[in-house]
Amino acid sequence: MIFTTQNIRKTFKTGEVAEEILKGIDLSLTQGEITALVGSSGSGKSTLLTIAAGLQPASGGEIHFDGEELTAMNQEQIRQIRAESFGFVFQSSHLVPFLTAEEQLLLMLETAGSPLSKKQRRDEADKMLQSVGMGHRKTAYPASLSGGEKQRVAIARAIVHQPKLLFADEPTASLDSTKSREVMELLQQLTKTLNIATLMVTHEEDMLAYADRVITMKDGRLA
Amino acid sequence: MNLAWKEMKKSKTKFVILGSIVFLISLLTFIISGLANGLSQDNAALIKNLPDGTIYMETAAEETHALSAIDTETQQAALSENDGAFVFSIQMGFLLNEQDEQQSVAFVTSTSSAEFPEVAKGEIILDRSLEEDGIQKGDRFTNSQFNDEFFVAGFSDGAKYSHAPVAFIHPDDYAEMYRTEDLQMLFLPEMAQPGAIPGLQSFSAGEFLNTLPSYSAEQLSLSMIVWFLVVISGMLFAIFFYMMNIQKLGLYGILKAIGVKTGALFRMIWTQMLVITAMALILSIAVSQLFATLAPGDMPFYLPIDATLQLTAVFFVIGFAGATLSGLQIRKAKPLQAIQQGEG
Repeated sequence: MIFTTQNIRKTFKTGEVAEEILKGIDLSLTQGEITALVGSSGSGKSTLLTIAAGLQPASGGEIHFDGEELTAMNQEQIRQIRAESFGFVFQSSHLVPFLTAEEQLLLMLETAGSPLSKKQRRDEADKMLQSVGMGHRKTAYPASLSGGEKQRVAIARAIVHQPKLLFADEPTASLDSTKSREVMELLQQLTKTLNIATLMVTHEEDMLAYADRVITMKDGRLA
Repeated sequence: MNLAWKEMKKSKTKFVILGSIVFLISLLTFIISGLANGLSQDNAALIKNLPDGTIYMETAAEETHALSAIDTETQQAALSENDGAFVFSIQMGFLLNEQDEQQSVAFVTSTSSAEFPEVAKGEIILDRSLEEDGIQKGDRFTNSQFNDEFFVAGFSDGAKYSHAPVAFIHPDDYAEMYRTEDLQMLFLPEMAQPGAIPGLQSFSAGEFLNTLPSYSAEQLSLSMIVWFLVVISGMLFAIFFYMMNIQKLGLYGILKAIGVKTGALFRMIWTQMLVITAMALILSIAVSQLFATLAPGDMPFYLPIDATLQLTAVFFVIGFAGATLSGLQIRKAKPLQAIQQGEG
């Protein structure tokens, strides 16, 4: 197990009222597998994903990643882990509007502190764009890409630095069914070939067919 | 990766607009500053061109040099005790040419001095601006308070006082015109170790200029305009970058989520601010210097390089402060909020 959570709790306080969103979650992720997190709105699945990704702190419990305790690290250490070892795919592609498809990937490599030379980085970025079927659009800016193309570039950006963990938050929510299937097939293929542990939040049942494991959340607990 | 440059290259219009506004405001600041300095020179070049030193006038004159009268005994004592000291007077008046046309001047006389030209009796030395107006060496002028004629012996550079050209005259001619051998002010150069002189009040050149009502009022107004423009530029930077940052908060959040350091995002806006400011200032310095050479001779415009560099430095500091202030939002940009954007 490359990633585990133990008894993760999250409480939000609104004035005097404290609401417990996560009530002791134990979760483990395996490399080469897509784990889908499903549940109704407000079940806590997105909160769990963001805590797992180090984007917000848990109120209690422990998170272990690659032998290290994430919950004991400071903000800068978590940022470094995110940059080097995590990849993110969001509902909207959230590409940088003033960078070309190739430059999006080069930025990720730079952020991750890649040891590759400038030319090697460029080759790596081009190779990754080829693998997601976007090699022919490497000089295109996001504004000139379709929704599906943007999401493909976003996936390439998420994995170009060879992360160990990929977090995907509703990666197909903004796509039609054909494009959604294409993106999921791509995620599935990359998860296997690059041996990544993928945690995906989705509410689309059709997409669960691409997951190796489906975890359902209800009222802050794993069902 | 130079994110700053990439964004500027992609969003040229946005940055050209910001650069144009900075250019226009900085150009306006340079022009107003040039006019302020020009007017200052026009008003008081005679005093401003004096070397460092101390000016004394009679205490009883209550800081009005026209009322000051330093008697010959005090003059002699001060001159004999201090090398490089001299006594001088300034009186506004006019000269009449052979066609009875009137020319306003500031009559200046002084004891022997390295700072003011030596003038023989009956001669005048005029400010160079009058030569540009057509007055020539050898021209003759009269004055209602002077029985003889003044003969133009030459011209002197940078001799303006109270927006009038200076006419240097001999102390005896001055005594005849103003019926007194007393002179108004004593000047002691810096090395003369100024001390208290009974009955006299001391002033630095700056303090002396501030006793001239027209000078201080004029300079205060112009300085206020200059600094107001500088502050506006700073606010402009802050507002413009604030608006840009507001639009990009989601992007900053995403960049932070994927691990980009907050410092890298600050470097991005600082670089953009530096590039825009540098380009706008280079252009406005060039245009203001061109303006200085093309401006009509009658327009008092003086923009020395030190004043230009001082304002340039202030623009950079205030631009940096404005960009940094607006950049504080970057610190507030939450990766979590960005990642949740668009969530149903």
